Amino acid sequence: MSELLANLALGFSVAAHPYNLGFCLLGALVGTLVGVLPGIGTVATVAMLLPITFGLPPVGALIMLAGIYYGAQYGGSTTSVLVNIPGEATSVVTCLDGHQMARQGRAGPALSIAAIGSFFAGCVSTVLVAALGTPLTSLALLFGPAEYFSLMVLGLIFAVVLAKGSVLNAIAMILSGLLLSMVGSDLETGAGRMTFDIAELSDGIGFTNVAMGLFGFAEIVRNLEMSQESRDLVKGKIKGLMPTRQDLIDSSGAIARGTILGSLLGILPGGGAVVASFAAYTFEKRISKNPERFGRGAIEGVAAPESANNAAAQTSFIPLLTLGIPPNAVMALMVGAMTIHGIVPGPQVMTKQPELFWGMVTSMWLGNLMLIVINLPLVGIWVSLLRVPYRLLYPSIIVFCCIGIYSINNSPTDVVIAAVFGLVGYWLNKHDFEPAPLVLAFVLGPLMEENLRRAMLIARGDATVFLTRPISAGLIAIAVGLLIIAALPMIRKRREEVFVE
Amino acid sequence: MSEGAKTSANGGGFRFKVRGPRDFYGGLVLIALAILAIWASGDLPGMHGFAFGPGTAPRLFAGLLAVIGALVALSGLLFDGPPLASYAIRGPAWVILGILAFAVMIRGFTLGPIGIPPLGLVPSTFAAFMISIYGSSEMRWLESLIAAAAMTAFCVGLFVYLLQLPFQLWPWV
Repeated sequence: MSELLANLALGFSVAAHPYNLGFCLLGALVGTLVGVLPGIGTVATVAMLLPITFGLPPVGALIMLAGIYYGAQYGGSTTSVLVNIPGEATSVVTCLDGHQMARQGRAGPALSIAAIGSFFAGCVSTVLVAALGTPLTSLALLFGPAEYFSLMVLGLIFAVVLAKGSVLNAIAMILSGLLLSMVGSDLETGAGRMTFDIAELSDGIGFTNVAMGLFGFAEIVRNLEMSQESRDLVKGKIKGLMPTRQDLIDSSGAIARGTILGSLLGILPGGGAVVASFAAYTFEKRISKNPERFGRGAIEGVAAPESANNAAAQTSFIPLLTLGIPPNAVMALMVGAMTIHGIVPGPQVMTKQPELFWGMVTSMWLGNLMLIVINLPLVGIWVSLLRVPYRLLYPSIIVFCCIGIYSINNSPTDVVIAAVFGLVGYWLNKHDFEPAPLVLAFVLGPLMEENLRRAMLIARGDATVFLTRPISAGLIAIAVGLLIIAALPMIRKRREEVFVE
Repeated sequence: MSEGAKTSANGGGFRFKVRGPRDFYGGLVLIALAILAIWASGDLPGMHGFAFGPGTAPRLFAGLLAVIGALVALSGLLFDGPPLASYAIRGPAWVILGILAFAVMIRGFTLGPIGIPPLGLVPSTFAAFMISIYGSSEMRWLESLIAAAAMTAFCVGLFVYLLQLPFQLWPWV
């Protein structure tokens, strides 16, 4: 316990440094600014803003990125409440009741309850990250290559199970992502793989290019197809930001339950924040005395999912910081950022660079505090941003992304690669393939291959090693079980279809 | 399958109708991707002894992808699914053109006899903005020019002056 406090104190001394405080604030503001733009989700926001953190010292850069992350998420819920366009999957459920509240003239309380819920969830899960960090890091020491490989398989299977749509399509995306990650030089022999003799590909495909193409450009192209007139922006001034006493009483239970549910689901690899918000909303509706209020502006319907997705967002740092495995696309971007700063995510971060680890953990809490103290009163500015027509917004986003991508390596080829992935993303969407599992697999690819090769070498070519080592076998068993559970309804449906004929 | 009977009743020959085109063609593209990957990693050494060669993992995953792709295509063939979605041309075309214009102009470009010198950040940003804005049918000239100039100024301010990134601003340095 005292060790935990000492660690947190170390973290605060780092995070409260005026420079880092400034980076955190800047990150939260810029993150909200971009996150609020309709149709740009958390992943796209973080990908877009990644380049502006490159010039900073590592601790500052990661603190700023964490700030961007929370800011983007908060910005996304603002858009959900006011325009009824969810920025990303995590705020889909927030639309349901949040937008109804806004139409009843209660946009202010909806937004502040979302922020208060997020802050509370942030406080709890920061402590959780800090408390679980040390034991999980020692668990990581028990892991050999076989266990790491199996754990990553489990993570990818989670991503498959949680993806909307067909299980087969999601598996196909995982495999495509793994293949894409293998383009470039081989880790052990240095042989160029699948480079088609293009010099620029010999270093592999940059992660930011893929993310920017699939989540940024593809999104824009898709939005252009939809008519922009249909945007349902809540007009009029937002008055009365503060929730009433009754609002607070009504939502306190929902916030607490959302936090618990979110923290638990967030630790699971594969996109916990989305499930967390859905699960929290459904749970609230089920235990409510009058569930018919949900969907008509019930404040619990905003409080629960917003607390849950924030708690999950935060606890999803746990697998990244302790095991070095990113559980979702945003964390994958964090890995990219860490790698650029020469930090290898994993258990050694905590022991070798405690100030970085704890500084980041506490900065999450500070980031949430800033959202509530500084960001919430600025809601009027964010709203005016929503009035900028999309026809002017999207070319701005495009040039911003272009400059950002180019500035990473001063390479025009990277910009072209991102453009190609923009088209790929557009195609994937038209065929009901989801890009998130692809991106996750793309990041895990090199790690997975390395551990697979090492495990096979140690086991002298015996592939059963993944099933004979107990921890590894357990992880694989969970993965298989999940896959069967996810595939069953689909198979049953198909069989019924066949029998009907 | 009653499918063959249905189509032959319509006067066509005995052939399968694709019942879920979105899945079917999606699966075919996955198979093509897998074949491309297998072909591209074909010259890489595979297993030697217990150790994986550089070509082992790509071929392994490409093989799996081919299997999954075949299953996706098969499910599109056998089960009712959504039709192919329609593709817009205007939006994607201008957006991609704008991005490519930026890539070509920022550092210059030579392809055989044609070549353009590096034009710098200001013209590249302005051009990329003005080209990609064509993707929207609601585009208005005056407004677009003002917005392009403002965005260019903003980006120069942010990336060059605030973040101190080394950019050539103009064609004449």
